[in-house]
Amino acid sequence: MIEVQGLSRRYGEFTAVDGISFQVDQGEIVGFLGPNGAGKTTAIRMITGFLPPSEGQITVAGYDLLAQPVAARRQIGYLPETVSLYGEMRVREYLVYRARLQGMGRMDARRAIGEALERCLLDEVEEQIIGTLSKGFRQRVGLATAILHQPRVLVLDEPTVGLDPKQIVAIRQLIRELGAERTLLLSTHILPEVELLCNRVLIIDRGKIVDQGTPDGLRERWRGNPTLRLDLKGEPAEAEQRLLGLNGVIQVRRLDRPTGEGAPEASRFSLECEVGRDLREEVFRLCVEQGWVLLGLSEDKASLEEIFVRLTAHESAQEATEDGRPQPLEPGPLESEPLEEAS
Amino acid sequence: MSGILATLRRELCAYFFSPLAWALLTLLLVINGTIFALIISFLSDPRSAGGRPLDFFFSSSWVVLMFIVPLLTMRLISEERSSGSIEVLMTAAVTELQVVVGKYLAALLFYLFLWLPTLAYAAIVAGYSEIDWGTIASGYLGIFAAGAVFLAIGTLASSLARNQVVSGVITFAVVFFLFLVFGSLQSLVNSSVWKEFFAYLDVAGQMDDFARGVVDSRHLVFDLTTVIFLLFVTSRTLAAKKWR
Repeated sequence: MIEVQGLSRRYGEFTAVDGISFQVDQGEIVGFLGPNGAGKTTAIRMITGFLPPSEGQITVAGYDLLAQPVAARRQIGYLPETVSLYGEMRVREYLVYRARLQGMGRMDARRAIGEALERCLLDEVEEQIIGTLSKGFRQRVGLATAILHQPRVLVLDEPTVGLDPKQIVAIRQLIRELGAERTLLLSTHILPEVELLCNRVLIIDRGKIVDQGTPDGLRERWRGNPTLRLDLKGEPAEAEQRLLGLNGVIQVRRLDRPTGEGAPEASRFSLECEVGRDLREEVFRLCVEQGWVLLGLSEDKASLEEIFVRLTAHESAQEATEDGRPQPLEPGPLESEPLEEAS
Repeated sequence: MSGILATLRRELCAYFFSPLAWALLTLLLVINGTIFALIISFLSDPRSAGGRPLDFFFSSSWVVLMFIVPLLTMRLISEERSSGSIEVLMTAAVTELQVVVGKYLAALLFYLFLWLPTLAYAAIVAGYSEIDWGTIASGYLGIFAAGAVFLAIGTLASSLARNQVVSGVITFAVVFFLFLVFGSLQSLVNSSVWKEFFAYLDVAGQMDDFARGVVDSRHLVFDLTTVIFLLFVTSRTLAAKKWR
């Protein structure tokens, strides 16, 4: 549905997007993930035909975007990062204008507008002046605009930025529904959003795609050695020794004592194990033998955040790609709580 | 075509919804009314040489034109660019030229609307004396043709600057320059070929011809080609998008 070949964009000396190539197939929801300033918006603006590329080719739904811009743009619904609408118009009026602009016939337009209003839950505000709407509603008007002409491809640039949590949940729900029937390219810097919505992720940093795959696949690839995390009550120094003595444990690290919970004598350990071994049972038996109280035991999955931080932390990303094989992740201070709420 | 019409409609709405347009209409009524009143009182002085009041009116109309054109065109494209709405506009299935033509036509129609009240002056004069409707029609044609050219200049200026005030100032400067330069150049050169050449380019002089009732098709051809050329350049500017 979307095919991008060697796409670059330079602003004078600065290269915002540096020769990226990728493909989005029909029905896929692909997440475009990168820190702020990675070149996501520039890439998206080129894909939607707003910004001419310095180099490269873009094909949307079979139309070459540079050779047949109007035909290609007809297949794209676009929600820009900052939704800017004509504030003096009413919601319905604006959609009527957009339908006309897209060259829709009167009957088609009426049906499409009704549908878009319903879909985006705008029925109650259709007669309101856009300038008086809240940010969440304006975002929805933007989405309604994007789906109005029934495009085959939807491109959404940071669709949930600046919304309150309730609105975020609603917009994500809507995106999921829309994605069920369309090809969708979604840019974001919010990781849970990618995990929730996307079949596939492209990680972009400093204008280049540094990795891509399914969220699970990426996690698998970048996980490294499995790590267990446990909280127990017992003599910490001895426990450390005993745990290291277990067959299959590579490294034991004592982490900060968990605060609160009324367990001042509890300590927390992180156990790095050999690949393919699940040592949870052994750990449990050891605790029983030693008479330690086991307060918690969990598998530490490398979260997408860690992968993301790692890939986009510039020096280490360099190392990893030069080695060819990614290095295991350090269970560092970054714990696996998501950075932002997951709906 | 639907792209042009949709843009035209939306821009006309934008004019009628904006306070600027109504302020402009009021201002225009005050200025034109004052000019008309001065002309009448001047002509009713027994010592004056006399003449037809509307001839005077039309040949002084360029003063007004110079001020309203930048105010009408400055927002056309600059506003889309500064607010960011250009992003959804130019990713719709429309060409740059359709958008530019739609916007330009909206400005032109609103410009004509602004002159509508001045028909009252013709009616007033007709109530007191013989009136030559042909000359009046030609006077309005002059206002229309000159306005068409200057509005196209303003549209181009608006595509060049993100800031409305800047595009307004550019328009004003260019229009002002065009009014002055070719008139004075004509009196500076001796060769009749050059005189004629500058007269051809002189839109202010052209308005005088129209005001006197002289409809010269050369003027109209010049205006039409200039407008087409300017709108084309505007659409290319919009397409180049280098500074977005």
